[in-house]
Amino acid sequence: MIKNIFIEIGLIARFTGRFFIEVFKPRFEFNEFLRQCFYIGNKSFPLVAITAFIMGLVITMQSRPTLVEFGAQAWLPKMISVSLVREIAPVITALICAGKIGSGIGAELGSMKVTEQIDAMDVSGTNPYKFLVVTRVMATTLMIPILAILADTISLYGGYLGCNIHGVVSWDLFWNQVFDTLVYADVLPSILKTFFFGFIIGIIGCYQGFNSSKGTEGVGQSANSAVVISSLLVFIIDLLAVQITDALNLN
Amino acid sequence: MATVNEHTPNSNAPEEVIKINDLHKAFGDNKVINGFNFNLKRGENAVVLGKSGSGKSVLIKLIIGLMKPDQGSIEVLGDKVETLSTSELDKMRVKVGFLFQSNALYDSMTIRENLEFPLRRHWIKKSTNKNEVDNLVMEALTNVGLPHTVDMMPSELSGGMRKRIALARTLILKPEIILYDEPTTGLDPITGKEISHLMLDLQKKYNTSSIIISHDINCVKIVANRIVMLIDGKCYATGTYDELEHSTDLRVKQFFE
Ligand SMILES: Nc1ncnc2c1ncn2[C@@H]1O[C@H](COP(=O)(O)OP(=O)(O)OP(=O)(O)O)[C@@H](O)[C@H]1O
Ligand SMILES: [Mg+2]
Repeated sequence: MIKNIFIEIGLIARFTGRFFIEVFKPRFEFNEFLRQCFYIGNKSFPLVAITAFIMGLVITMQSRPTLVEFGAQAWLPKMISVSLVREIAPVITALICAGKIGSGIGAELGSMKVTEQIDAMDVSGTNPYKFLVVTRVMATTLMIPILAILADTISLYGGYLGCNIHGVVSWDLFWNQVFDTLVYADVLPSILKTFFFGFIIGIIGCYQGFNSSKGTEGVGQSANSAVVISSLLVFIIDLLAVQITDALNLN
Repeated sequence: MATVNEHTPNSNAPEEVIKINDLHKAFGDNKVINGFNFNLKRGENAVVLGKSGSGKSVLIKLIIGLMKPDQGSIEVLGDKVETLSTSELDKMRVKVGFLFQSNALYDSMTIRENLEFPLRRHWIKKSTNKNEVDNLVMEALTNVGLPHTVDMMPSELSGGMRKRIALARTLILKPEIILYDEPTTGLDPITGKEISHLMLDLQKKYNTSSIIISHDINCVKIVANRIVMLIDGKCYATGTYDELEHSTDLRVKQFFE
């Protein structure tokens, strides 16, 4: 069991290593890359938007009573903006994309593997790793940060509405407070880590798909493992990120 | 009688288009190909007959370079496959077509895009002229009798139609050699026969040599000039249909019952 986990980690590391070799070799599949970017954005934006809005609203409403106890409800925008932008919006975006994009990639490449479409590309003068894996991983690495930034904005808007349910905070006051609170040390690390989230979601989805075993069962399993492993890795990266910002005194 | 040998497009082409010598391939302890020897002559239709799981697909994937042999050599049109670089392999694959057992049509593309894929992607034979590509696509589809499917998706077609489209895609680059992986498996006997005759017609039209993997004895009867029995990873027996049909060897005989 433990041995198998280490073997799996080794195989994933090798698969990832190949990405860094192939990504710099010419014949860039630019069209396929754009197609994937569009597809990812189009497919996950509605879900990310709704979830981010609800999280912003709910976190605000739940934080309020505690602050009221200390007579500090004026601090509400300050407090929620830090937790939403630093943690909640990026992680929620990553988890939703792991569920939606990661499983999609795992299932798509898995079924291409078992029906020999990947071999067919190989004999048609196309490097399937470049055409399928590099484009998808680049697309997730680029698009998940963009989705996360949109999620930041939308969740803050949810927070604004949350502040106004039991109290009154004007639109200007809310955003002034938010921007006074947020400094580069909050925003930059949080965006930076979403690039890693995106990369992990792409690479794990592709790895699972490429190593899918025969039959429809194998394809389902690939999709499933892609979600489980990439979600877990999102949390692990999040944990590492907080350690790093802590060590750099940015928390 | 002065006949031009129509099977030799260039004079220094080898008479034996594929030479396989002492081929070995194992997956862990599973020795799938174990000392296989075989030569394919120009213009010949050789059928490889073997039980399910005997390594037939592995054999032709070794020939096209999708897998690397553990030992032994494969020569295709004078090139040693195991020593070719990626770009040399691409050049070889323009001349060798491959029909996949599961058709391998790209689900996310229309039939037109499926057929254009090898045309546009093979950098050796890359055609960018829109008209020329269109003509080739329509010619290929007409060859298999399905010109009206050009804008459909693979999921809209029946199994037999998909097999025909896959055949059209294989033939679109006009290969010299075609490797067929079970072209009639999963089809009803009538459609299977149609596909077999279609293979034979197209073979005559484009003058190809081929290796056909099969365990469908009806298809074998129609297309085979010669049969190779793949048993225990070796070339167990070889001969024409009639010769092997009357073989006294039990392991050969069971395929013809
Ligand atoms: N990539 C692989 N990794 C490990 N084992 C493999 C691989 N490909 C094939 N095998 C094994 O090699 C053996 C032969 O497989 P192959 O697909 O060539 O059979 P086949 O003769 O084509 O059978 P069928 O008629 O069912 O298609 C099987 O035992 C299979 O498990
Ligand atoms: Mg097979």
